[in-house]
Amino acid sequence: MNTAAARRTALPFSILVVAAVIFAAPLVVALLTSLKSPSEITRVIALPNELYFQNYAIAYDRMGRSFLNSIAITVPSVILSLLVGAISGYPLAYMRGAGGRAVYFFLLTGMIVPFQIVQIPLFFLIRSIGLYDSIPGMWLVHTAYSVPFCTFFMRNFFASVPRSMYEAALIDGCTPAGYFWRLLLPASGSGLAALAIIQSRAIWNDLLFAITLTTSDKATPVTATIAGFASSLQVEYGPLMAATLISLLPVMVTYLLFQKAFVRGLLGGAGK
Amino acid sequence: MRNLKWIGVALGVLASASAARADGPKELWHYYAAGSEKAGIEALIAFANKQNPDNQIVGKVIPGNAVEMRRQLQTAFMGNTPPAAYQSSMAFELKTFVDSGKLHDLSETWAKIKGDEIFPEGVQRVVKVGGKPYGIPYDLSLINNIFYSKAIFEKAGLQPPKDYEGLVAVCDKLRAAGVEPLGNAGGPFWSLYNFYAPLVSTVGTEGYYKIASGELGFDTPEFRKALELYRDTMVKCYAKNWSGKTWTQTADDVVNGNTGMFMMGAWAAAYFKQAGFAPVEKFDVFPAPGTEGKAIFQMDAFAVPEGPADTLETAEKFVISAASAEGQSTFAVPKGSLAPNVTVDPSIYDAVGAKFAKQLADASKANAVLPNLFFLLPTKVGTELGVQLEKFAIDPSDTNESELISTLESLRQEAQAEGAYLKW
Amino acid sequence: MPSFQFMRRKFQTAGMTHAIFLSLPVTLFAVFYVYPIISTFNLSLHSWDGFSPTPKYVGLQNYIVLAHQSRFYHAVLNNISWLVFLLLGPTSLGLLLAALLDRGMKGQSVFRVVFFLPFTIPAVAVAAIWRWMYEPTSGLLTTILQSIGLGSLAQNWLGDPSIVNFALMGSMLWWTTGFAFLVFFAGLRNIPVEYIEAARIEGATPWQVFWKVSFPLLWPSTIVVLGMAAVDAMRLFDIVWAMTNGGPAYASEVLATQMYDTAFGRFEMGRASAISVYLLVIAGLIIMPYIHQLAKRVQEAEAE
Repeated sequence: MNTAAARRTALPFSILVVAAVIFAAPLVVALLTSLKSPSEITRVIALPNELYFQNYAIAYDRMGRSFLNSIAITVPSVILSLLVGAISGYPLAYMRGAGGRAVYFFLLTGMIVPFQIVQIPLFFLIRSIGLYDSIPGMWLVHTAYSVPFCTFFMRNFFASVPRSMYEAALIDGCTPAGYFWRLLLPASGSGLAALAIIQSRAIWNDLLFAITLTTSDKATPVTATIAGFASSLQVEYGPLMAATLISLLPVMVTYLLFQKAFVRGLLGGAGK
Repeated sequence: MRNLKWIGVALGVLASASAARADGPKELWHYYAAGSEKAGIEALIAFANKQNPDNQIVGKVIPGNAVEMRRQLQTAFMGNTPPAAYQSSMAFELKTFVDSGKLHDLSETWAKIKGDEIFPEGVQRVVKVGGKPYGIPYDLSLINNIFYSKAIFEKAGLQPPKDYEGLVAVCDKLRAAGVEPLGNAGGPFWSLYNFYAPLVSTVGTEGYYKIASGELGFDTPEFRKALELYRDTMVKCYAKNWSGKTWTQTADDVVNGNTGMFMMGAWAAAYFKQAGFAPVEKFDVFPAPGTEGKAIFQMDAFAVPEGPADTLETAEKFVISAASAEGQSTFAVPKGSLAPNVTVDPSIYDAVGAKFAKQLADASKANAVLPNLFFLLPTKVGTELGVQLEKFAIDPSDTNESELISTLESLRQEAQAEGAYLKW
Repeated sequence: MPSFQFMRRKFQTAGMTHAIFLSLPVTLFAVFYVYPIISTFNLSLHSWDGFSPTPKYVGLQNYIVLAHQSRFYHAVLNNISWLVFLLLGPTSLGLLLAALLDRGMKGQSVFRVVFFLPFTIPAVAVAAIWRWMYEPTSGLLTTILQSIGLGSLAQNWLGDPSIVNFALMGSMLWWTTGFAFLVFFAGLRNIPVEYIEAARIEGATPWQVFWKVSFPLLWPSTIVVLGMAAVDAMRLFDIVWAMTNGGPAYASEVLATQMYDTAFGRFEMGRASAISVYLLVIAGLIIMPYIHQLAKRVQEAEAE
C-alpha cells in the first residue's frame, strides 16, 4: 500500500521538483549576482569568488527613505482599495436588474485602460488638489485605479455568498448597510486576504505613478530607486539585484501572513 | 457608513498637511543613475555647490534615458514646475524645447564663460539654436572608434586595420582563430553609430551635414553606396547573435576573450576599466576605417528652463561652475568622458582618454568634428533611421534595404514639407 | 412571517444604501478614468509635440495615418498573440502545478513559496534578470541547452525578430504563473474532500477525478485568472519596454510601447493619443464581451 502510494506520487513529485528548479534558477542567479564584486559581474553564471556584501550596503544606503515611503504608501492604499472594492462590490452583487449590471459593466471598462494614457491629465488633477509629491496623493491614486479590479474581485466573491444569508439578516431586522459592516465584511476575511496579496504586489511594484507623481525623497517609493540602478548606458547589476531581493521581503511577508486565509478559501469561502 | 466618513476626514487632514509645502530645492535633473556616470555627476554637483555656497543645487535621477527625461519634463513644464537645469542631448533635443519657449537663452552666461573660445566650433554649433546658446556642453564622448583586445590581437599576430579591406581581413583571421570578430549590440543606437563610419567614408564630411539638413536624400546613389559598404564590411564582421546582447554584455565578451573588437562610444573604456580590464595594457582603440583624423561625437549639455529669478540665478551659477576647466574635469575623470572645454589639461585623462582627447583636438583643427547625426535630424527622422539600420544590420537583405530607403525617404520629404529640418 | 410591505420597505432602503455605497467608487471612476480618457480623445484630434502652447486641430488625421501603417498593425497582432498566450500559458501551467501539489506532497510550503516568488518582483528587475537568462552565447538558458546536448536549439533569444516575442513570453510565464498557481491552489483546497472521496470510491482515476469533479468546481478561480490575463494582455507595457524597448526594429512592439515611443520618442502626442484610443476600442471589442460573458456565467452558476 505504502509503496503503491509512493509510486503514485513519484512522477508528480519529480515534475514539481523540476518546475521548482526552473522557477528558482533565475532567482539564484540574481542572488549570486548580488554577491559579486563589479569585476566579477562579467561572468554571469560563475560563482562569486568571495561574498561581496558591499552591494547590499550600497542598495540599503540608496534605498534609505524610499523603503519606508513604499510601506507608507502601500499599507493604507491596500486597505483603502480593499474597502472601496468591498463597498462597490457589495451592492453590485445584490442588485438585480439592468441598473446594477450597467454600473458593473461601466466600472469594469476601467480594467482595460492602460495607465500610460491617463498620465498627463492625472498629473494636473493631483497637482490641482495639492497632493503632488505626497504620500496621501499616492493613496488616492492607487485607490482610484484599483476600483475596477477590486470591484470585479469583491463582487465575484460576494456573489458566491448565499443570498439566503442576506435575506435572513434583513428579516432579522438588519439594515442593508448593517448587514454589510457587521456580517458580510467580517465573514469575508479570506476574500479580502486574497485581494490584499494581489493589491500589495501591484501597489508595491508600481513605477509609473511613482515617477509621475512624486519627485522628492518625501514620497518616492522603492521601485523608483530600483529603476535608478539601471541608467541609459550603465546598469549596476550587483546593487540592483541586492535592492530587488531586499524589496521582495515585504511582499513575501504579506504573502506568508495572508496565505493561510487565502488558501482557506479564495472565493466563496465566506458562505461555507 | 461612519467608518467611511472617518476615513474621508483623515484623508482630508493629511492632504491639507502635505499641501502646505514650502518652495522645494533647486533641482538638476539627469539620468546618470548608475556606475561611473553617477560618480561623475555627483562629483560635479558637490564641486559646484562648494563654489556657490548660497546657490545650492540638488541632483535628481530620472530613471531611464532621454525618452523618460522628455516625459518627466513634459509634465513638469505643463505643471510649471521645471527643474532649475537638466541633462539634455544636443541639437534637436534642445531645439524642440526652444521652439516652444521653454528654455532660457544662455547668451549672457555664454559670454561670461567665453563659450566661443573654450568650446570647439563643432561643439558650439549643436548647442546654439538660431545663433543663441541654449546648452552648456559638459559630457562629450567619441563614437567613431573601435576597441580591441590586445591579447587576442597579439595571439593572432594582428595589427589594427587602416581601411575597410584591412578590417575585413582582420575579421577573417579572427574568425579563423575561433574568436568573434566585431561586437555590436541590440537597440536603435549602436548599429547607427557604427554606420556613421562607412557613411562618412562615402559621402564625406559635407555629405554628412547635407543628410543632416535634408538636402541629401536617402534614395540617392551615395547613401545606397554607404549602406552597401556597411553591409559588406562591418555587418559581415559582426559577432554571432550580436542583436540579442546589451552593449555591456558585448563588452563582457571582449573582457572574457570571446570577441576581438567592439565599435562603441568612449564610455566603454570606463566599463572595461571597472571590470579590471586596463587601458593600453589589456585593450586599445583605433579609429574606424575612413574616420581617421575625424571625431564623431555624442554630447550632453545642461539646459536651463525659464523660471523665477532666484532659480535662474542658481542654474546659471551652476552651469558656470560646470563649464570651468576644473568643473569639466571633475565630471570627465570619474565618468570617463571628454571635457568639451579645450582649456582642460589633457593630463587628467588615462592613456586611452588621452588618445581620445588628442583625436578631438586634431579633428578640431582640421574642422572635422562631426556631431552625432541622430540628434541633427528632426527627432522622428533620426529615431526611424536608428530603427531601420538595426533591422538592416540584423538582416541586410535587398528587401530590408529598399524598405529602409523608401521609409526614410518618405519621412524626409514629409519633414521637409513641414519645414522641420535645420542647418546646424 | 414578515409582511410583504415590510420586505418592500427593506428593499427600498436597500436601493438607497446601494446607491450611497456606489457613489464613492463611481465618483473615483469618473474623475480618474472618464475625465482623462475624454482629454486623451480630445488630444487625439490634434497635432501636438507636447510642449508648444497650442495644439493644432487635425480632425481624424491621426487615426487615418495609423490605419495605413504596417507598424501599427504589427503591434495590434502582437497584442492579440499576447492575449492568446496569457489566457493559455500561465493559466494552464499554474493549474498543472496546483493540481500536482494538491495531492498532499512533501515540502508543499516550499513549493508554494518558490512558485509564487517571481510574481513579487518588479518589472525592471525581471527584465534585468532575464536579459542574462537570454544572453545568446553564454546566458543560462543557452548554457543549459548546450550542457544537455540540445545546443542546436539555442537561439538569439532577444535579438531575432522571429524569436523575440516567444522569449518575452517565456519570461512572462516565469513572472506571472505564480498568480494563477496561487489562485488555483486555493480553489482546489476549497473543494470539499467528500466530493473527491465519493468519486474515488466509484472507481474514478485521479485524472478523471480532476477533470470531472475538481475542474468544474474551479470556475470562480478560473474567472479571476482569465480576467486578469486578458487585462494584462492589453495593458502589457513594463516587461516589453524594460527588456527590448519594443525591438529589435519594432518586432516585439505592443500598442502601449508604441504609444510611449510615439509620444516621447518622437514628440507626436496627438498620434500617441490616437493609439491609446485605438487600444481602448480594440480591448473593448475583444475583452468586454468576454468579461460580460464571465459575469453572466457567474450569475448562472449562482442561480443553480
